[in-house]
Amino acid sequence: MTDPGAEAERILRARAQALAQPTSSAPPSGTMLELLEFRLASERYAVETRHVQDVHPLRDLTPLPCTPPFVLGIVNVRGRILPVLDLKKFFDLPEPGLTDLHRIILVRGNDLELGVLADVIVGVRSVAAGSLQPSLPTFEGIRAAYLKGIGEERLVVLDVDAILADPKLIVDEEVDS
Amino acid sequence: MKWNVGTKISVGFGVTLAIFVIVGTISYESVTKQTEAAAWVAHTREVGNQLDQLMSAMQDAETGQRGYLITGADSYLAPYTDGAGRAEEVRRQLAQLVADNPAQQARVQALAPLVTEKLSELQQAIDVRKSRDFAAAQSLILTDRGKKSMDAIRALIREMIGEEEDLLKVRAASAQSDALEAKWTIVLGTLAALILAGLAGLMITRNIAGPLKNLTGVAERITLGDLSTAVTVDERSDEVGALNRAFDRMTRSLRTMAGAAEQIAAGDLRASLQPQSPNDVLGNAFARMTDNLRRQIGGIVEGAAVLGAAASEIVASTAQFASGASESAAAVSETTTTVEEIRQTAQLANQKARSVADSAQKAVQISHSGRKSTEDATAGMGRIRTQMEAIAESMMRLSEQSQTIGQIIATVEDLAAQSNLLAVNAAIEAAKAGEYGKGFGVVAQEVKSLAEQSRQATDRVRTILNDIQKATTAAVMATEQGGKAVEAGGKQTDLAGESIAALAGSVSEAAQAATQIAASSQQQLVGMDQVAGAMENIKQASTQNVASANQLETAARNLDDLGRRLKQLVESYTV
Repeated sequence: MTDPGAEAERILRARAQALAQPTSSAPPSGTMLELLEFRLASERYAVETRHVQDVHPLRDLTPLPCTPPFVLGIVNVRGRILPVLDLKKFFDLPEPGLTDLHRIILVRGNDLELGVLADVIVGVRSVAAGSLQPSLPTFEGIRAAYLKGIGEERLVVLDVDAILADPKLIVDEEVDS
Repeated sequence: MKWNVGTKISVGFGVTLAIFVIVGTISYESVTKQTEAAAWVAHTREVGNQLDQLMSAMQDAETGQRGYLITGADSYLAPYTDGAGRAEEVRRQLAQLVADNPAQQARVQALAPLVTEKLSELQQAIDVRKSRDFAAAQSLILTDRGKKSMDAIRALIREMIGEEEDLLKVRAASAQSDALEAKWTIVLGTLAALILAGLAGLMITRNIAGPLKNLTGVAERITLGDLSTAVTVDERSDEVGALNRAFDRMTRSLRTMAGAAEQIAAGDLRASLQPQSPNDVLGNAFARMTDNLRRQIGGIVEGAAVLGAAASEIVASTAQFASGASESAAAVSETTTTVEEIRQTAQLANQKARSVADSAQKAVQISHSGRKSTEDATAGMGRIRTQMEAIAESMMRLSEQSQTIGQIIATVEDLAAQSNLLAVNAAIEAAKAGEYGKGFGVVAQEVKSLAEQSRQATDRVRTILNDIQKATTAAVMATEQGGKAVEAGGKQTDLAGESIAALAGSVSEAAQAATQIAASSQQQLVGMDQVAGAMENIKQASTQNVASANQLETAARNLDDLGRRLKQLVESYTV
């Protein structure tokens, strides 16, 4: 014969333990991608952290003349003069104007180092490589070329290698005087 | 006796006076001579004295010279210089003194060269002693020149003194004889004058005083009214006889006058008396008196008739007057009653005026307290203004400090953003470290969430601060409006204070006016009292008037009776 109180307690404990289990989504199969999430306008974008060196506030931006519109200008980061790209020009996003709340994400790869403008830095998160879905059909052209995949909650993961390898980034223009 | 009384008295006193004049003249002359003799005696003594002084001066000079000759010391020369100086002066005075006597004058003239000679001899000896020696001076003295001249001076002075004494003796004898003569004259003259005066007095008494005594007795009796005495008339031709005759005429005239007076007393005024002369005062007065009496009696007869008629009229008039007085007394009585009523009204008015004055006084006190209250209110407004200013200052400080807080919040926000960025960088680094950086990545995540919390907290603080700033601004505005309201309130209070002060002034003036009205009313009341008193007096007087009118009527009737009796009385006179 069992004590009904002890029985009830055992049931409650079991439930509590079941509830206390962290709701870890199913352990990601395969490799995990470490992503740095940021926002442009109201959309969420992310880049792989292995390309990212660090994040800086946008200060002392010097506009460069005779450059394509996506080159905002150059900045001095710890003695290095780096160009700053504005991805919103690529994705046809609205431009609210520059503030000192803007950040630049320093990325490196393919012997090239440059800054990418971000409106807000959200943070670093891990995403399973398998959970990324291929590009949306509405994306085409350069968008499709720079895209690595779409994650949860419409997280656009950019392919930094593709961006850095884009020959358009090499600006060689002359102005006839 | 052919001489009258005046001549007799003149002769008697004239002889006596003549004798006294003679005696007086002789006495005067004698006294004059005595005075002259005394003056001459004084003159003689003066001359003698001067002569002695001259001699003494010469001797002094000689003594001084001898002393110098013997000693040779200059101090011995003092008597010499003094004597030589005095000698000449004394000689000149002597010459003036004897100017009346030629013989003495000649002697003084003779004395002058002798004195000069002697003085030159003395000087010579002194000079010799001074220039040479004692022996030479001695030989000069031994020539006897000085001694001779000195002897001559002595002889001459003795002669002059003798002359003066002789003259004095002659003059004294002459004065002595004159005095004796005067003494006898005075004694004999006085005796003769006394005898003559006694004889004249005796004669005047016997011849004049007796008859005058008789006449005095007659005059005494006439004074007492007795005219029956007759004066005995003798044949004397002098003033006493004339006096007797005049007295006789006077008594007769007085008797005539007395007879006429007797007639008038009997009521017969027809007698007429002739005055003795234009200067006869009594006669003239008597004549005028009878004339006047005649006229006056006639006038009185007429007057008595008129008086009778007038008295009758007066009786009638007084009757009318009495009735009029009664009427006026009634009217006065009514007036008195009316005045009494007016007086009571005035009393009421006075009481009212006094109560008004009291009320005005109270109003003055109230307005004073009102003024004080407004002053207190003004002071209170001033304090409120000061406090409002203090509040405004505090609000300003609060506003400034909230701005400072805003700046601090901005800094904190900046710090949070930087922390966030640092956390991200740390996470990136942790990701790069791979498996080893997992723990560090968690820490970076925590730092990031802390930075986020900081940001949210600062956001809330900013919201609260904004609310505070809005509230502060509103409070500042309210304070300013409050200050303005206090300002306006102060102005209003000032205006109210001025109005109340003006009101207090007006009330004070009104109070003064009320006091003056009360005083005037008091005076009016007093005046009304006096009027009432006066009316009372008039009433009494009018009552007395009525009584008087009645008395007057009685008196007028008496007067009428009197007039009738007077008429009967006058008719007894024969004019």
